[in-house]
Amino acid sequence: MNLAKRACLYLVRKKGKTATLLAFLLVMATLMLTCLSIQSATETANANIKKALMGYFTINAKQLQTGITEDTLNQILSIDGLSGNYTLRSYSYANYSDADGKPLAINTEDAAQVPEGYENAGRIVANTNSDNDSYFTDGGFELVKGTAITSANKNSVLIHEKFAERNGLSVGDTMRLTDVTDENRSISATVAGIFTNTKEQDSIGIAPSYDLYDNIVFTDLSTVSYLLYGTDGETSVQYGDFYVNDPDELDRIMTEVEEIEGVNWDNCTLTRYDNDYQNAKESLAGLQNIVFIAIAVVSVICFLVLALFLTLRLRGRIHETGVYLAMGISKGAVLMQYLLEVLIVAVAALLISYGASSAISDQIGSRLLSQVTAETYETVELTDEAENTEQPSAEDLGLSEIVVDVSAEDYALVWGFGLVLCLASTALAAYPIMKMKPKNILSQMS
Amino acid sequence: MNLGIRAILYTVRKWKKTLLIFCLLLSITTLTLSGLAIADAQEEQAEEVRGTTGASFTVERNLSTGGWSNGSDGTYSTQEFISEDMIKEIASVDGIAGYDASFILMPFFYDETGKALPATIYSFFTYGTLNSEYSELFLSGRFELVEGSHITDEMTNGIIISRELAEDNGLKIGDMITGVCYPENNTPEVEMELVGIFDVVADKDDQVNMYDASSYFDYSDYTFCSMGAMDKMVEGWGDDEIEEAYFYVSDAAQLDNVIEEVKKISSINWNNFNITANDEVYQNISSSLSDTGTLITTLIIVITVVSMVLIILILSMSVRSRKREMGILLAVGIAKPSVILQYVLETALIAVVAFPLAYLSSRQVAGTLGTLFGKAAENVVVTSQHFALVAVVGSILLIIAVIVSCIPALRFKPKQILSQME
Repeated sequence: MNLAKRACLYLVRKKGKTATLLAFLLVMATLMLTCLSIQSATETANANIKKALMGYFTINAKQLQTGITEDTLNQILSIDGLSGNYTLRSYSYANYSDADGKPLAINTEDAAQVPEGYENAGRIVANTNSDNDSYFTDGGFELVKGTAITSANKNSVLIHEKFAERNGLSVGDTMRLTDVTDENRSISATVAGIFTNTKEQDSIGIAPSYDLYDNIVFTDLSTVSYLLYGTDGETSVQYGDFYVNDPDELDRIMTEVEEIEGVNWDNCTLTRYDNDYQNAKESLAGLQNIVFIAIAVVSVICFLVLALFLTLRLRGRIHETGVYLAMGISKGAVLMQYLLEVLIVAVAALLISYGASSAISDQIGSRLLSQVTAETYETVELTDEAENTEQPSAEDLGLSEIVVDVSAEDYALVWGFGLVLCLASTALAAYPIMKMKPKNILSQMS
Repeated sequence: MNLGIRAILYTVRKWKKTLLIFCLLLSITTLTLSGLAIADAQEEQAEEVRGTTGASFTVERNLSTGGWSNGSDGTYSTQEFISEDMIKEIASVDGIAGYDASFILMPFFYDETGKALPATIYSFFTYGTLNSEYSELFLSGRFELVEGSHITDEMTNGIIISRELAEDNGLKIGDMITGVCYPENNTPEVEMELVGIFDVVADKDDQVNMYDASSYFDYSDYTFCSMGAMDKMVEGWGDDEIEEAYFYVSDAAQLDNVIEEVKKISSINWNNFNITANDEVYQNISSSLSDTGTLITTLIIVITVVSMVLIILILSMSVRSRKREMGILLAVGIAKPSVILQYVLETALIAVVAFPLAYLSSRQVAGTLGTLFGKAAENVVVTSQHFALVAVVGSILLIIAVIVSCIPALRFKPKQILSQME
């Protein structure tokens, strides 16, 4: 009878013992696989937290002759590690006139002074999305009529309620914006919306006429680009806020930005804003360490328990070993038989464990999902943070979905370690028995 | 021979087997105990993360319920201001980590020789502050304290200035600066000690800021001084007082509860004040953070369940391998219950040693593994409650496992058992 047959027969006839071994190995393998899939899921969760802490950097290209051109912008956006979430901004001053070129009246009453050449001028603000501009997010501005201006709009403006009243303008009307420094640049725009301020301007008495809330006009980036740089068809901007996935990478990304050719970066100011992340950094690392330690503890103890269990199992078979040896079966063959038995069961256990751990991972995954849907996002009052030009809700942060599943690598890892461990511990446990002569073994038995 | 002696003898004579089971029990109990400790540590750590999100609430005057009056510089609200006593009272509510309140003046400053410090624009934009550490400008990272200390509510005459201002005027920590609010009106001169110097991190050139009074001042001309000094500078002049106060909570998840507590303070007429919660950062990360929590909790549950299964498997295996012995014991006339009791006793003997040892070893395990991989594990602490839980549940589990594993063998007569054996 060859050893393979003996191994199979042993497994089949000792159903109870085989079942116990299978159950044990299955539980172990499933535990390890589940642990590993949970670990990679927590890594995703952690990356999400980092992303949600909204680290970003601002490029101030106000001093550049051409601002940030579309070409430069595309090069910046192609840098790896940006979340894809960004805001472009431009600011200027413009003279306001109606469609026929007749100057429009601004509020001069509350102004500290009305600078020469600015008698009909005001501040022009352009943002990728006017709703996200700090005037609206922090300054208490509110749209009362019409729609916000986004980068999709061309030649549109938002005007203050009082400005509209003073000049008899309403949504759909046309007005002209003319550059205050170069009279040649003039562009007409349609009133897309009317806003008002809910908070009193606290700088009344200090602010010059053009900075008064009433005199501010929001427009699209391309309109300001024309007024500032005289561009046609292209849009250049003064400022860009670029959000990153991992605030730890801000330095690298900012260095890469400054390596983009064709831009005089010495005249630009790059500022990093990652205070929320810096505050949370240490505690976040602590949280990650805990996950790591949990996995380490589980792995080490699992291996220990597995080795002990296999030893215990083999020790119950001393008598059998003695009989085999007495029958003249070589020690090598007996050892091979034992190894083969464990191997067969281990392979079965590992195969089943994939299904089992996938099922468990699915359960965990759906539990996370139901948690998300059950969570109600409260609308939060706006913070007083002037720097924060964006107030995205939790949904549009672009967080990755947390997938709890058994990856091929993890599976291979468990296979490799599992088999080596099974074989090693069986061989090790068999060693003291194999050292003895059959007679000693059999006489030693009670 | 009574069963106690039999149990002891078996344990001692089969010492190798005993040792194996002992090691298994030790490992599994250590695993469970470490798991429980890790679950608690995760809870604590998550709380710490929530604490760093700067969740706060703002108390401000409710202008809609107050009266209005006309003065020389336009209409102003006559609503009551926020008093320092009121701030202290709110700050004493549990769960509040820090607070700040300020009002702004634009005074002039003189150094020890009487020379006026030059301001870029007119004068200095000065916050009279209670705890400058919790000022929005410092919290948001726009300013960073690089020398000295922050202004606290215990200081009566401290001042913090920018590095630029300090360097340009040769000022250092400990120097005295005199502040005057309206020199033309002979308002009181107030001596202040320079306690801190900050660096400007933010880019003031960014025009995003231009909508309020502060926008017209250069960041290097921002200063922070003690509330007490500020009060003195305008003593008898005007009614500049605190309009807003910010309170930061230690755990963002508790923000609503803290606000509820604050609203219960009866000495404050809440009709005159509004409370607004600010926890945007926490809202952004809360779902990811609770995901991590769920994942770790699940991990611990899996570990615990697996540990239970393992213990049952091991014990049933060890008992089943003693079928022959059981047959002999029954054949010599020992009652079935006393056989079971003997086995339970043997297991108990091992567990009595293994459990306390697991308590000690688990206290080491997390720490050792942590330092081994260079990760800190201060939070992972195995408490005696964990131990009590594991010991009680573990013991019950062990007894059940032994009894259940004995059932198949004990159903038979000794003769059947013995003849069944090979």
